[in-house]
Amino acid sequence: MAVSDQAGVTFWYGCNMTRHGELVRLTMRLLQAVGVSADASGGPAACCGSPKEADARISAGMAARTVQAFNARGSRQVATWCPSCHMNMQDFMAPATPANFETLHVTQVLHQHREALRPLLRHTVPARVMLHRHLGFDSRVPVNDCVAGLLEMIPGLELTLQPPLPGHMCWSLGNVPGALARGQQETLDAMAAAGADTLCTIFHSCHREGVGLERTHPIRVKNWVHLLAEAAGWDFTDDYKTWRNAADPRAEVGAGGIAAAGDVVFDRLVEPELRKAPLV
Amino acid sequence: MTGGEGPLQPGLAQVQRILSESARLAALCTACGECVKACPMPAFALLPAAEPAIVAAGMRAVLSGAPASPEGLAFVAACTRSGQCNAACPERLDVAFMLRLAGMRAKGATGEAPLVAVKSDPGWASRVKAFARMTMTEEEQSKWL
Repeated sequence: MAVSDQAGVTFWYGCNMTRHGELVRLTMRLLQAVGVSADASGGPAACCGSPKEADARISAGMAARTVQAFNARGSRQVATWCPSCHMNMQDFMAPATPANFETLHVTQVLHQHREALRPLLRHTVPARVMLHRHLGFDSRVPVNDCVAGLLEMIPGLELTLQPPLPGHMCWSLGNVPGALARGQQETLDAMAAAGADTLCTIFHSCHREGVGLERTHPIRVKNWVHLLAEAAGWDFTDDYKTWRNAADPRAEVGAGGIAAAGDVVFDRLVEPELRKAPLV
Repeated sequence: MTGGEGPLQPGLAQVQRILSESARLAALCTACGECVKACPMPAFALLPAAEPAIVAAGMRAVLSGAPASPEGLAFVAACTRSGQCNAACPERLDVAFMLRLAGMRAKGATGEAPLVAVKSDPGWASRVKAFARMTMTEEEQSKWL
């Protein structure tokens, strides 16, 4: 599946990635750097419907609107970030609402263009990295190999591979009692056995659930996009990780951030998440 | 429903697809249990031990809308989309898709009474948009949301 540079690509980052605006921003910059013209789309208005899958009428309406919006954009390719979105597009959305585009994963796009990326990765990233992998989705799109191939181009980075965990990302483990904690403990054990100091996440939910491990263990947690950006010398901050690991997330977010979220929404929906304790 | 004179509303079409695909795949499943043996979740999540063929038959029952066994429901609820079941199926069925459909039916997606507890997150959209306002510039929000 070749990436079409001229036709334009819609980078469909999903909904829960809004916690990590810098990942959307940096991914767009990576795509631009390798010559792929892309627009980004996500949030509730571009939902795959899976958050509401307990009601087919609601989820199907959301999914149909998203496919219709992508068709209207005229992009011939949609590059996903979220594996749930990707699978939903292939399994339910496109079969129900004919799509005028092909669906591929953003790691495939960047991996196909890796030789254009290589000269940009000039800065040494001295880290012994363990790539956090899952079994699911990789059988559909080889994301584990694609990300490993990108990380191997980073000077100074030593790559080790975590034995894949069940599930397609940590979010799915979180729905089964005890499974996410066990997955995180297995991750830490694998890092200790390999002497890794940095955990590299692939998906947003693994990052969201993993960043708190920095509070309780002497490791760093970074996403693969963060590591590529460091190697390119691009400035960024992982605000979500900073907030999640702060002793007082409310103070760390600050008045401006709380006002942006909305006082009531911050109190009820954001702060409780930022105060969640690490599972292990 | 449009009375057969036009396309179905997306929701109704989705319900019909879930029901028709569920019935088609349930009819093809032999409940041999190979998918259960290949699944990493029973051991990982410490599900109660049960004969794989009995668990698979329970999953097939959920899929077909028949009375569900506790073993079948537990297997469906523990699916994390690892996908190891597909390669194990001697009938080459898309078992991962079957489990997704069974999960939807168990949650009551087609309008039937739910068979499992359904987690709802009524603040999901508000939370997603709040984080967007916290992590994206106004220009990014106008272009990317």
